[in-house]
Amino acid sequence: MTMFLLILVLAFGLTACGKAKNNRETASGQTSESGTLLSAEPGDAKEAADLYQKLMQKEEEIQSANATLWEKLFLTIDKDQVVSGDNNNYGDFLLKAIEAAKDQFTTDELKILNDGAGQIREIEEKLMALEEKYPDCVKIPGEGESAAAGSAESSQEKFPDFQGKDLDGKDVNSNELFSGNTVTVVNFWFTTCKPCVGELADLDALNQELAQKGGAVVGINAFTLDGNEGAIAEAKEILSKKGAAYQNLWFDSDSDAGRFTAGLYAFPTTYVVDQNGNIVGQPIVGAVTSPEQTKALHALIEQALANGKS
Amino acid sequence: MWELDNRKQIISKGLSRFRGWIQAAAALLTNIHLPNFFKGGIYQGKAKAVCVPGLNCYSCPAASGACPIGSFQAVVGSSKFSFSYYITGFLILFGVLLGRFICGFLCPFGWLQDLLHKIPGKKLSTERLKPLTYLKYAVLFFTVIALPALVVNDVGMGDPFFCKYLCPQGVLEGAIPLSAVNPGIRSALGHLFTGKLMILIGVVVLSLLFYRPFCKWICPLGAFYALMNKVSLLGIKVDEHRCISCGACRRVCQMDVDVTSSPNHTECIRCGKCINACPTDAVSFCYGFASDSNRNGEKK
Repeated sequence: MTMFLLILVLAFGLTACGKAKNNRETASGQTSESGTLLSAEPGDAKEAADLYQKLMQKEEEIQSANATLWEKLFLTIDKDQVVSGDNNNYGDFLLKAIEAAKDQFTTDELKILNDGAGQIREIEEKLMALEEKYPDCVKIPGEGESAAAGSAESSQEKFPDFQGKDLDGKDVNSNELFSGNTVTVVNFWFTTCKPCVGELADLDALNQELAQKGGAVVGINAFTLDGNEGAIAEAKEILSKKGAAYQNLWFDSDSDAGRFTAGLYAFPTTYVVDQNGNIVGQPIVGAVTSPEQTKALHALIEQALANGKS
Repeated sequence: MWELDNRKQIISKGLSRFRGWIQAAAALLTNIHLPNFFKGGIYQGKAKAVCVPGLNCYSCPAASGACPIGSFQAVVGSSKFSFSYYITGFLILFGVLLGRFICGFLCPFGWLQDLLHKIPGKKLSTERLKPLTYLKYAVLFFTVIALPALVVNDVGMGDPFFCKYLCPQGVLEGAIPLSAVNPGIRSALGHLFTGKLMILIGVVVLSLLFYRPFCKWICPLGAFYALMNKVSLLGIKVDEHRCISCGACRRVCQMDVDVTSSPNHTECIRCGKCINACPTDAVSFCYGFASDSNRNGEKK
């Protein structure tokens, strides 16, 4: 998801560069595009956040298309006047500034400035409307440094369903599992992966900690899928050596969850799943034992607990 | 006989002249899953159970196969095995068939260093640094074979020391492209990444000054193929009757080898520069057991 956003932003950035050149000649070319953005009505908070970003970018674009001209305008603005303006629409403010300094520009320049400021005014109105309706949309969605930053709106992905067994042969159904816990930490590992095995004891400690909050840790050993007996025996041996008593599961490799597991290429990978069966934020890739990763994991757990209450 | 010699010469010279293209093609073939660079995953199909000949990270999003050095450590480091016959088989097969021809023609990291060295600037000879060429054998023995098998945790697992602490190719092909598109991987980067990034930058800078510093001094795969150069089917032959001892081959060699005295030297990466430099066409590639008589030349 985040990757998609990243690509979107990248693509947008590229088109913006292309635009900037064209717009130097025709300022009116933008109207139609910003028009579609202005008339767009987001369906949910995520779309709103998306639109918010696009509109912000549009504003920047309008000014960067004729950067030197706008710079010249900014130089004419009297700092004292800024305070006196009671209207907080940036577009209105610009229009006033253009009016005050109109004799310093040619007619063509004034047209570009007025057009731009007019569009900015409309965009600002839209932005304010968005902010009112979706207070969260101001935040930049989920591509922050820590994995926990990919917060609620960016991920409503359900953890794939499965009908599996634990290593002792007891049936486990994904729906019952997730709805029965306030939070479920799902750790993907395999038997010959040293960092995976290295964190088993810590995960057991986490399981005991979560038990007090009604949550649990479950492990999924990629080798044990399809009930491979030899792999199950080996996994159990390692788990007992490491003192990990929490539940470990397997399911069929051609189930949704099996394909999900096959798509993982970094082990260990740890997902946090809320009571509704939704994956919270981005998975923790690599051992959860480093201080940063532990912090990120706990942030995800807190969020999952919060999701469950609502 | 003359005709055969001529054909050999043409093939030898052709191979060496088109080396850059062969290197490019090999790099592409061993990293064929290019869309993965944008998707941010790696190919995990059946072919990944097979080793590629060169140093080519398994975790490169585009990688078609597995790196033999990485695979060897993975098996040796696991609690079940302390030696990997499967991977050693691959290595011996590649070594016997081609030897260090792989370094010169097929290895993507060798190609990278070749390209870097083409960038104009001050170039330094490595002739006086010859003792450093033995370092790679230590890297092979300790970080690939011994430490992963011997330094183990309570359940008998070792670390892939070379991949974990040294390999710049892993950073270049694996860590950098994966972390660029995958926030999870990005947040997992730590000191190990920083350390190896420094090694990568070091290798890049050194490659501008020296010819193939990594291959000469550090590469454990190069070290293995270096030993196999002695028994490889692919060799270089110097026709003593044609050789006028002008020394052109020695002067043109960037691996500091004198092909006339030791045509199957451990450091020879079979690039074929000497073949094209020879004014009397005395030097050529040879293939098969026939070159045995020539190998005796080394004893002189």
